[in-house]
Amino acid sequence: MSRIHDIGGMHGFGPLAIEPGEPPFHHEWEARVFAINRFLLRAGAYNLDEFRDALERMPPEEYLGASYYERWLHALESLVEERKLLDVLRR
Amino acid sequence: MFSVGDRVRTRLRNPAGHTRLPRYLVGRSGRIDTVLGTLPFSDRRAAGVRSAKETAYTVRFAAEDVFGGDADPRGSICADLFESYLEASE
Amino acid sequence: MSHVHESSAGASNRVKALVAAFEAANVFTERELDAAVEAFLASAQPANGALLVARAWVDGAFRARLLADGNAAAAELGIDLARWAPVKLRVVANEPGRHNLIVCTLCSCYPLALLGPSPSWYKSNAYRSRAVRDPRSVLAEFGTTLSDDTEITVWDSTAEVRYMVLPQRPAGTENASEEELRALVTRNGMIGTALV
Repeated sequence: MSRIHDIGGMHGFGPLAIEPGEPPFHHEWEARVFAINRFLLRAGAYNLDEFRDALERMPPEEYLGASYYERWLHALESLVEERKLLDVLRR
Repeated sequence: MFSVGDRVRTRLRNPAGHTRLPRYLVGRSGRIDTVLGTLPFSDRRAAGVRSAKETAYTVRFAAEDVFGGDADPRGSICADLFESYLEASE
Repeated sequence: MSHVHESSAGASNRVKALVAAFEAANVFTERELDAAVEAFLASAQPANGALLVARAWVDGAFRARLLADGNAAAAELGIDLARWAPVKLRVVANEPGRHNLIVCTLCSCYPLALLGPSPSWYKSNAYRSRAVRDPRSVLAEFGTTLSDDTEITVWDSTAEVRYMVLPQRPAGTENASEEELRALVTRNGMIGTALV
């Protein structure tokens, strides 16, 4: 049922990996992905649910093994291509 | 239209697209905890209807009613669910 | 481990290409992106949540307002909840015998404005899957135990409502100033994995 992101209640994911005092972003590219998404949302390129939908459409095998921001990057690339955002937003 | 305290059940559904009824709460009985008013309606917004809205409710489920007898008897789960996900229950 | 490094290097290259493409199209610059990240980190901090908590601890009327209408109460203290998207805030109070835990099983919704960036564990498959079915085991990983007869409510943030826990005021703080109380509040306490 549903799509791969819908994991509430599932077993098997193991213990939490708790990193006290972790930085907000572990790599510069993660911060950039965060900022690109905020920019595009604000610009009306897509809405939050369209973004979530793009996350959820990631192939299941890739979704489960991807890190959080890798998923975001996948969604961004999908939306940029599907919606021709470089052309739509070009100035 | 539901009121606080009403018993509701989430509908049996398995849409191919974006939705915010998690699978672990499908077909479960709970009670209306809060009437949230109209909120952006996720399922339609993901389909590009930019201003889609629907009345939503915070529904409280006993953990045992979601996960069965092994669950914490003192546990509950609250989720914010759109009216179209819900039906009245006895 | 090497898989992580490889995939991160790959992601880094993909992001570089994406940024370059947007820059070439005059949509935004790399510098603007970095400035936006800085601005976000400067404004979205757990100190904001702690402000609400400490005020609620010392002022019963504010506490009631906070629980009834989180948005209005946050505005009272000058906290801008949603610089770019409307979001409803609900604050849920821990009480003797009642504990609350926040999760977003479907993605990672989180009250960023009040708590700052979410920790990786909050966004993880492990937390998103287990918080709703076994919150006590999740709390145990943080060294937090509750008595067997404590009622636990797990709030799954499935719509555009964001949740924050109002922890119980610790014992022995009757003479603490509001500033001292703010310093006691932790981000994990406001998610519900710690008691305060």
